[in-house]
Amino acid sequence: MSFLGRGSSTPAGGVNHERVDMAVQELDMITDIFNKLVSSCHTKCIGTRYAEGDLNKGESVCVDRCVAKFFEVNKKVGEKLQSMGGAAAGGGGLPSL
Amino acid sequence: MDLSQMNSAEQAHMSKIIEKKQMQDFMRMYSNLVDRCFNACCNDFTSKALSGKEEQCVLNCADKFLKHSERVGARFAEHNADAMSATGQK
Repeated sequence: MSFLGRGSSTPAGGVNHERVDMAVQELDMITDIFNKLVSSCHTKCIGTRYAEGDLNKGESVCVDRCVAKFFEVNKKVGEKLQSMGGAAAGGGGLPSL
Repeated sequence: MDLSQMNSAEQAHMSKIIEKKQMQDFMRMYSNLVDRCFNACCNDFTSKALSGKEEQCVLNCADKFLKHSERVGARFAEHNADAMSATGQK
């Protein structure tokens, strides 16, 4: 509604596009990570026989560990990028997951 | 994500964006699931109809995928909650 809403402070009732864009970017990143997580751990943990529709015990344990490991990798890669000074490439810094 | 710092106009704008993204995400998940279950269950093309066995496989595949994604979601949320409380304590 207001074109004055560009600055860091926004008049009440206006939309701060910068702030919204940041939130959208964060949302996109989290969604992307989640989707990759679902896809990768499904490929790695779920058998393709599909004799039943429930996760069996082994698969459940595998999924839990897969998620934990994925986050650990996420952290390690993040630290590595940061130490190389390349973390600024994305402009957004590290995903704090 | 912290939407509480936004004013009501921004929150309304965000929820519209989120709604749109959820729809896109659902469609993407749908086509992905079709692809996954088709490749896992259908390898015999001597008939053009799904056999009973194939159909059961597809149903199980979809069921299992949803349960899998639910479980990953739960672990994901737990991890985020842990990370949040860890940064809060600093």
